[in-house]
Amino acid sequence: MSERWINAYRQAPWRTQLQWIGIFLLALIGVILTAGLYLNITAQAAAAGVEIQIMEDERETLQRQISDQRTRLAHLTSAAVMEKRALELGYERADVENAVYVVVPGYTGRQLAPLALPANSINQEQPLVLPAYRQSLWEWLFQATLRLQNNRPQRGLP
Amino acid sequence: MNFFKITRIHTAGFLFAMMALLIILQLLRIQTNVNAQVLREEAQARYGYERRRIIPERGAIYDRWGHLLAGNQEVYEVGLALNQVSDPQTIAMVAASLLDLNQADAFALASTPYVRGQQEYIVLKDFVSAETIQQLEDLQDQYANAKTRKGEITPNLNGLHWTGHLQRTYPENTLASNVLGFYSFRDRINGTGYFGVEEKYNELLAGVPLDVVLPVDPKEITEIPTVAPGASLVLTIDREIQASVERILDEAVERNGAVSGTIIVLDPRNNEILAMATTPRLDPNKYWEYSQIFPGATPYNRAISQTYEPGSVLKVLTMGSALDAGVVTPDTTFLDTGAIEVGGITIHNWDGGAWGWQTMTGCMQHSLNVCLSWVATELGPTRFYDYLKAFGVGHRTNVDLAGEKIWPLSLPGDENWYQVNLATNSFGQGVAVTPLQMAVSISAVANDGNIMAPHVVKAIIQDGKQRDVRPMIIGNPISAQTAHTLTEMLAVSLEEESSNALVEGYRIAGKTGTAQIPSPQGYLDDVTNASFVGWGPVDDPQFLVYVWIERPASSPWGSVVAAPVFRDVVKELVVLLNIPPDSIRQQIR
Repeated sequence: MSERWINAYRQAPWRTQLQWIGIFLLALIGVILTAGLYLNITAQAAAAGVEIQIMEDERETLQRQISDQRTRLAHLTSAAVMEKRALELGYERADVENAVYVVVPGYTGRQLAPLALPANSINQEQPLVLPAYRQSLWEWLFQATLRLQNNRPQRGLP
Repeated sequence: MNFFKITRIHTAGFLFAMMALLIILQLLRIQTNVNAQVLREEAQARYGYERRRIIPERGAIYDRWGHLLAGNQEVYEVGLALNQVSDPQTIAMVAASLLDLNQADAFALASTPYVRGQQEYIVLKDFVSAETIQQLEDLQDQYANAKTRKGEITPNLNGLHWTGHLQRTYPENTLASNVLGFYSFRDRINGTGYFGVEEKYNELLAGVPLDVVLPVDPKEITEIPTVAPGASLVLTIDREIQASVERILDEAVERNGAVSGTIIVLDPRNNEILAMATTPRLDPNKYWEYSQIFPGATPYNRAISQTYEPGSVLKVLTMGSALDAGVVTPDTTFLDTGAIEVGGITIHNWDGGAWGWQTMTGCMQHSLNVCLSWVATELGPTRFYDYLKAFGVGHRTNVDLAGEKIWPLSLPGDENWYQVNLATNSFGQGVAVTPLQMAVSISAVANDGNIMAPHVVKAIIQDGKQRDVRPMIIGNPISAQTAHTLTEMLAVSLEEESSNALVEGYRIAGKTGTAQIPSPQGYLDDVTNASFVGWGPVDDPQFLVYVWIERPASSPWGSVVAAPVFRDVVKELVVLLNIPPDSIRQQIR
């Protein structure tokens, strides 16, 4: 059988050339596939990077805006502004001579406002960028292979 | 067919192979060339990474009820990327109309030639409001959307950029500015806190800046580390009480033609400072006006930074010491002949008169210098000064505000101490204190003989947790019994003389003070310092108010100038602190 094949190739040199071309094309396709994969992952990483940068800028802007809004609110409710508004609404400053005291059962007086955030609302610091985004192609391949091996079902001895 | 016969296809193949080889060789040469190496390093250093200093947001400052006293607002830096500027004329025009810049100056800036690495970006104006930026944005959009013909150069704001950042701001303007201090926000690199809590807690408020190196290449994804904001402070100050006290003080200073005024309101049970008002006051939003408002050596906060001879308010300490030492009782009698000689110097009463037989309560009621000098001599210098030291006279109160001053107490054996000092010190002359020092010392009488550490910071909020400042006893100069006895004596004193300090419905204890002012040529004849210290309600003291009116022109007497100010403060204070009149309070206790 193999003799026939050998003879066939010997008889047709173009087949040898075709074989070389095939090998070359196979290698080329391999290189292109690898390059394509690499390019794809790199592009994804770059896009993720840009997105992270944008989000971080956005976070910074939002933090500034929160602070700004809090301060604007404080301006709008400052002692002088509130007093002016109260006077405009017809209120008068409380006078010791006219004050009426009423006993309210259970009232323990004005309580201090808790300004610290409740413990459960504090975000625990977590890495924003997943390790997958930092891996090189080889690291990714290596780890993927490792994962594949680890996931292979283990068979016990009979 | 000869396999090795050179055909045209072989020649073409060889040529292409050579070209490919040359390209590869050139690539290798570029990669390994020495100059290329230098260029790459330079490019990497310049464009590969960005050094960034992340400055945490400065912590906020709140009053005891959570009203924001110092926060941060968003402002913008407007600048020019010189390589992008194509229409300096329009930029200059817009800068003049919206940014209040001189048009010629703005034009000169916008026309600055771009020099790579040296002259790339110019700041036009910093601390621009969000409203102005909105106008700039609208204008930029208008120019960008204007229809143009091909090749036509139309007005544009190309190259004009703005970046947001935070600026320290004080929503209450001058309110409590003497307590807050200010932050020099105009210096974005080396800004720091000055005076008050801004200076005292500068490091806590500022947080810890972080220097990071970040890759510019988005492919090299790096997370910008989160920097915790500076700690926030909750003050003991009550905004409403502070506003009320400042208003009363300003009116009093103006009404009496005084040089300045100071009022301190303490809770003697824990020495939390509920209000601390002084004149003049600065709007910390315009801190650069400091030198105009505080010319020369004018202290920023007289309550802690200006010592003065307090006069008769110090008699509270003298009488407290004598009662505690058992030298006198409230009913001990003294024959006031109008003069007493101590250390070869004759001491007279404030009116130069002789008041005859007086109990100790009478001595306090009529504020008799002769009687108090006698009390001090009976006590003796050692015990008298031991008590004064125990009360904290001559020592810092260590209040958590920057800039506290003291005047050292002259003691027997010191070069500047004479026998007569025992007498003069007993009625508050020849000894200098700050208003806060005096208030804190006397707070012992209002708090069962205990002096608590005075403080303005009630809690610190850091990393999401609130840590409360715990009240701390720093002294116990007299017994609780002595404190109660003295309080009763001073309450009776005010009632007997129908003092201007009395508030209907509330039993108050207090003492006036009228002090002569020393100068290098001796005591001044025509000016005084008028003071009043009082606390109440007598059976359960919840507030202590100290008033000092400096050099009043209307009257020299503390009873005429300072006592009514105390009354005005207390009338509003009891409402703000929800303290009902004694008759009601005792029913619901």
